[in-house]
Amino acid sequence: MGFLVVLAQRTLYGLLLLLAVLVLNFTMINLAPGDVVDTIAADMGGASAELVAQIRAEYGLDQPVIVQLGNYVWRVFQFDLGQSYFYNRPVTEMIFERLPATLLLVFSAQIFALVVGILLGVFAAQRPNGILSHIVTLFALFGYAAPVFWTGILLLIAFSLKIPLFPVAGMRDVTVEGFFPQALSVAHHLVLPMLTLGSIFIALYSRLCRASMLEVLGSDYVRTAKAKGLSPRDVTMKHALKNALPPVVTLAGLQFSAVISGAVLVETVFSWPGLGQLALTSILARDTPTILGILFFSALVVIVGNLLTDLMLRLIDPRVRGKA
Amino acid sequence: MKIAVLRRLAVAAGIAALLSSTVVAEEPVRGGTLITTLPQTPRHLNPAVQSGIVTGAPGAQLFAAPLRYDEDWTPQPYLAESWAWSDDGLSMTLNLVQGATFHDGEPITSEDVAFSVETIKANHPFKTMFGVVEAVETPDDHTAVLKLSQPHPALLLAMSSQLMPIIPKHIYGDGQDPKSHPRNGQDVVGSGPFKFVEFTADQQVILERNDDFFIEGRPYLDRIVYRIIKDASARAIGMENGELHMTTFENTVRNIKRMSENDDLVATDEGYAAIGPINWLAFNTGSDGPLADKRVRQAIAYAIDKNFILNAIMLGLSQESKTGIHPGSPLYYPDVNGYDLDIDKANALLDEAGYEKGADGIRFSLTIDHGNPTTKPQAEFTKASLAKVGIDVTVNSFVDFPTWANKISNHDFDMTWDTVFNWGDPVIGVHRTYDSQNIKEGVIWSNTQQYANERIDELMAAAGQEIDPDKRAALYKEFQEILADDLPVYWTNTLPYHTIYNKKVGNPPLGIWSSSSPYDLVFLKE
Amino acid sequence: MSEQTHLKARSPFAEAFEMFRRNHAAVAGLVILLAIIGVAVLGPVLYPGNPFDMVWAPFTPPGTEGYLLGTDYLGRDLLSLLIHGARVSLTVGLAAAFVTVTIGITIGALAGFYRGWVEEVLMRLTEFFQVLPTLLFSMVIVALFGASLLMITIAIGLVSWPAVARITRAEFLRIRELEYVTAARAGGVRNGGLMFRVILPNALPPIIVQAALMVGSAILFEAGLSFLGLTDPNVASWGQIIGSNRQYILDASYTVTVPGIAIFVTVLAISLVGDGLNDALNPKLRER
Repeated sequence: MGFLVVLAQRTLYGLLLLLAVLVLNFTMINLAPGDVVDTIAADMGGASAELVAQIRAEYGLDQPVIVQLGNYVWRVFQFDLGQSYFYNRPVTEMIFERLPATLLLVFSAQIFALVVGILLGVFAAQRPNGILSHIVTLFALFGYAAPVFWTGILLLIAFSLKIPLFPVAGMRDVTVEGFFPQALSVAHHLVLPMLTLGSIFIALYSRLCRASMLEVLGSDYVRTAKAKGLSPRDVTMKHALKNALPPVVTLAGLQFSAVISGAVLVETVFSWPGLGQLALTSILARDTPTILGILFFSALVVIVGNLLTDLMLRLIDPRVRGKA
Repeated sequence: MKIAVLRRLAVAAGIAALLSSTVVAEEPVRGGTLITTLPQTPRHLNPAVQSGIVTGAPGAQLFAAPLRYDEDWTPQPYLAESWAWSDDGLSMTLNLVQGATFHDGEPITSEDVAFSVETIKANHPFKTMFGVVEAVETPDDHTAVLKLSQPHPALLLAMSSQLMPIIPKHIYGDGQDPKSHPRNGQDVVGSGPFKFVEFTADQQVILERNDDFFIEGRPYLDRIVYRIIKDASARAIGMENGELHMTTFENTVRNIKRMSENDDLVATDEGYAAIGPINWLAFNTGSDGPLADKRVRQAIAYAIDKNFILNAIMLGLSQESKTGIHPGSPLYYPDVNGYDLDIDKANALLDEAGYEKGADGIRFSLTIDHGNPTTKPQAEFTKASLAKVGIDVTVNSFVDFPTWANKISNHDFDMTWDTVFNWGDPVIGVHRTYDSQNIKEGVIWSNTQQYANERIDELMAAAGQEIDPDKRAALYKEFQEILADDLPVYWTNTLPYHTIYNKKVGNPPLGIWSSSSPYDLVFLKE
Repeated sequence: MSEQTHLKARSPFAEAFEMFRRNHAAVAGLVILLAIIGVAVLGPVLYPGNPFDMVWAPFTPPGTEGYLLGTDYLGRDLLSLLIHGARVSLTVGLAAAFVTVTIGITIGALAGFYRGWVEEVLMRLTEFFQVLPTLLFSMVIVALFGASLLMITIAIGLVSWPAVARITRAEFLRIRELEYVTAARAGGVRNGGLMFRVILPNALPPIIVQAALMVGSAILFEAGLSFLGLTDPNVASWGQIIGSNRQYILDASYTVTVPGIAIFVTVLAISLVGDGLNDALNPKLRER
């Protein structure tokens, strides 16, 4: 019961945040000079004055900003994010087309970074001052310190061009038929983008995991467990890791905004057909409804990601479960 | 005409030219999926209400046009098996092939031609194409007569796939706005060699063979997949590792050079003459500043080493363009002043115009606005070049198009590097830049230079109606001579557009409309 | 544990310094960072000339014709660009970190000090900025309001401050209840004085660590924006060099690799220093 109330509160609050995101950005976009009609004209290789005026009127761009904002917010309350000016299609439809690609990339990169980060962290915590431990820490830092698009380009050159193991762009091979071959094809396309995006966060997770492992390993009950004669392996896996995980998961939950940012760059490098690419196109084209829709949905992903993290913490951490 | 062809052959890579002629001789094979590219997602696939090359490429496969063009600018029968001007040049009669059908099985009739012309006239951004068409008469199902208010030679080029797709009246004539019609991007019913299968934004457009195509035995390919890949390097890697068969409209010179050195690939600049892309430095001649003076504009042209642009920036892969008409066009007139580098002359002209160097060595300051990332090298090169003659230049880069377009189209600029297309006939894509009637605030690629010259206006009006090719060429010769002296725009080069194809590809699209021409002859060798 | 007794005798500052000095990685990071700062400050003197000048044929490979790092797509000396770029990138990094810390401390301090509705409002604002996807939001700002360094710096600062605000608030909440604060309050110190002269100095250590790391992430952030083309073409930041040479990556990969390495090394050095600072300034860790 208590949990449901919390969930309801957080949902309502999340919706308010989303609305604020829309209003702020709508106002901001409309303050800037130029509008989408210029892009449409450009895309057509030039247009006449009549056509330009006609398109502006069709989209209501000739009305005062405050009226446009009112109309927009009213439509959002009716669950309608509007039509893309540029593609003439419902924004939600266009976003749902791409959302799966972004979610796939974001979540697989997160899982990859968590798994590798935790493994490295656990490993480094075994002998905190050993040379190997330092090497692991430094290695993990590489991914963090290198610009993510740069890592991507280097991987692309290495494993698409020099050693053509992975495809260079896109998400699937359209000539492949059947569900499993296609899934395999998507997985094949996913490898490099996932590695690239995941690499940023390995350092973060492995370092925190190491620190929190060290903390737990030094605590009384682990000492007790050791004294009871449990094998070091059991101590590490059963007791220490279980208690060292919650902070790492919490941190991962806080990274969703950063992961989406990284995804924008990675999608650009690998032509991954997700929200990031659409975002760049529509920002440059000043396609207001689409930009707002994307901000809306990325904020939603962040909020849902945070909620999911809470849920996960409840599952793995008995201390949180107690407090509603 | 012949001269233009010869020159084009000479300029184009000799090997590519040889290859294309041997390719034609090869026996076509049926079957296979051609994997090619689009550099960005099209807004939709209906060229009747949307210009641009990414709509034009799949559009030309989905929709047939009355005519098609070979690489010599010669019109060939397509959906019209024959066509004829009336003697007064005021009507054009099209005789359509018998038995042609749309992809849903409905016959293609003269009604559809009339409907298509009306739709394009009302909705296409290029108003000059069909502006003078007063009516389309349909005496029978297979005859359409376009009635004109004045002679209009540009009509012939306008009747190709990029500009005049024949769209089904029974689909698009349902009363919805054709510009935002739901069938423009999904379930497209066309008249061309390939049928619509799938269009997923940022991923691909998939088309399949139209078995009922009106040309017997064609097309050869089973499928065409257009993969939408924005990154030029990614497209190049894809070509090199064999993921892609062909890519068009490539203009990253290093990548072109690289791909041309690959034994499996052929790179050619053939096929872009009608598109006619030209790079230029535009001057705001209507500003109060120094640029209102012709001598200053000329001095700037003299101070910029065009050879550096052609050879260092473009690596010799683009052609010099001395005027606003593409050098691939039969109407191009090359014997005008090309403003080869001459610093002394530039300094002399600036002194003469009354802009002496100040104590700090600077005469005056100007800005260059550029909105197209591909012209960034030119913008930065111009800054360095003009510093040498005492003109201080600030480069303003605009990362998004609307901000730049807004500034330029409202005449709030000094200079800008730009890329503008000819789109076939000068009436369609060239006149708009110099027509004093077309100085229109807020409209990009109108006469944003605010250039006005009565003689130029007269010449354009006359050439637009002149049916006789020789007389027309003479009018455009004078037009180009005057412009090259007035220099509202300093034209430097054509865009280095190239088609790169795997040697497996037979009959690549090397006609004047490049990928915006039907692929019914393209095949894959096994 | 014998170290601990040994260290206890000194002042906190000396203690921290000693801790830092013992951290080899952090010292190495500091040395590298100082070298890079040296290059940024002295570079234009050591290696004069306008980096935007075209000096040789484009894409002269590194080591040939007397150009150590070769030339870029316009025939500009890459080494010169890189040296001048150090200045720009570090400036953007520092300025963005400054903006971040200023906003973050102000909001965090007010929230943590006044509690109540002030805290409620400010923390909601912080959450609002935390759910905004950072890169997307700053792309919108830069695309709309012009790709100048100033705008890029503001954009980065605007999306990065919530972390600092949260840390500051947490520290304030902790410290405001400590005895010496209560004593100062009783002694008549006003709110402003309490906040900035009594509490803030003691709240600084974790903020300093965060600020140090912010410099690194701001450099990365700027590079990301540049890669997407959202960059000021009139100055050569490292990110801008990568962005403008990006399309030549296949052929002249050094034009992208080299500035990439510069960013990488700088950010790595900064985070090593940040780690060292963290260990040195974090008393909890020191006890171990």
